[in-house]
Amino acid sequence: MLYLPTTSNDATKLFALEYWLAQQDYPSTVFLLWSTRPTIMLGKYQDALAEVNLAFAERQKLQVTRRYSGGGTIYTDPGCFQYSFIAPATTAKIDFTQFSARICQALQQMGLPVQQSSRNDLTFQGRKFSGNAQYHRFGHVIHHGSLLFDTDVKTMATALHVDNLKLRSKHIASVHQRVINLKTGLPTMMAAEFRARLLASIKQTADEVTPLTLTPTQWRAVDGIQQAIFANDKFIYQSTPLTEITKKRYFPGGGLVKLSLTVKHGVLTAFRLNGDFFSDVDVARLSQGLVGQRFRPATVQAQLTALLAATPIVNISAADLTALCFS
Amino acid sequence: MPKLSPKSDQYFFGTWEKQVGEHIQKGEVLFEVESEKVISEVPSEVTGVVAEQRVDEGATVKAGEVVGVVTVQMIERR
Repeated sequence: MLYLPTTSNDATKLFALEYWLAQQDYPSTVFLLWSTRPTIMLGKYQDALAEVNLAFAERQKLQVTRRYSGGGTIYTDPGCFQYSFIAPATTAKIDFTQFSARICQALQQMGLPVQQSSRNDLTFQGRKFSGNAQYHRFGHVIHHGSLLFDTDVKTMATALHVDNLKLRSKHIASVHQRVINLKTGLPTMMAAEFRARLLASIKQTADEVTPLTLTPTQWRAVDGIQQAIFANDKFIYQSTPLTEITKKRYFPGGGLVKLSLTVKHGVLTAFRLNGDFFSDVDVARLSQGLVGQRFRPATVQAQLTALLAATPIVNISAADLTALCFS
Repeated sequence: MPKLSPKSDQYFFGTWEKQVGEHIQKGEVLFEVESEKVISEVPSEVTGVVAEQRVDEGATVKAGEVVGVVTVQMIERR
């Protein structure tokens, strides 16, 4: 096994690194152990509007990213560790066990009674703390997973809670499960010590571990992939062809607001507002001002603020409507 | 649609990598699917021209289902 130490906490850089490594011909599996700043990771065929509370994500400055692998949306932060195996693919058949068994074994060696579930997740005290996903490309399997050690589960729950009355789009939906932090079983251990012990334990599962470093030229190639794909807004937000959403909320002192929206490849194509609120707002003009805009909280709020300046809605602000659109 | 997952016969049809009328070499990626949290590229088993796409991106397909047609070009030898 080759081990490549990394220092970046930017998931888009690490996704690019995995992608670049899959295009090389190293003699054995490459292993990475990394963590991120507060980040949301969508699966490749997921709809951000169905999975992420984008208003909250923007307020909290959470980085929203998209993986090349499948599966559901996850939240990661410095209390969560990610691992990656980039291995030559010997078959097109799907196989998780060779990688997840290794992580399971490493944690058991640390004295944690963890288990593999039927969905290829890892569980502790009957609750999930690790999920993983794969993609196959350039003759390689890219297998990555997350390990919750001391993650802010409250932020996770809010960031991944979306309150759609109705949503229609062709996408992979996340499966929400109750999770647990491993620190529950290691209450005195800090994240840095856990990481060091985990890395040592994973290395013990391999016959031989050789350090791997990249040259500045190779890192520049990784940066190129990062900018072209994983840090590209188009890949993150404009992958879903069509989403139709209905949202409804009662604002105390303001009234009931119902929104029906259509978004195509990240651009708002229909906006309908109705309810029993008080305003002289011209709803058709409001809609015209929003259609054609990128459907992102900052863009929508700026437009709504301008459009409602002359004809405000009583006790319902542009920020309230924006939060409803993206909550 | 080849069977790729030992656990599931259902696949989310992700992307057509070749469009109708395009030439494809044996082994080149024809389409991409997702199943059981894995994204898999499916290569063409023959060299030819993509004649039909029978499923839409975002559809659910089953193992064994015909998702498209690639016409093999015969070269006549005299």
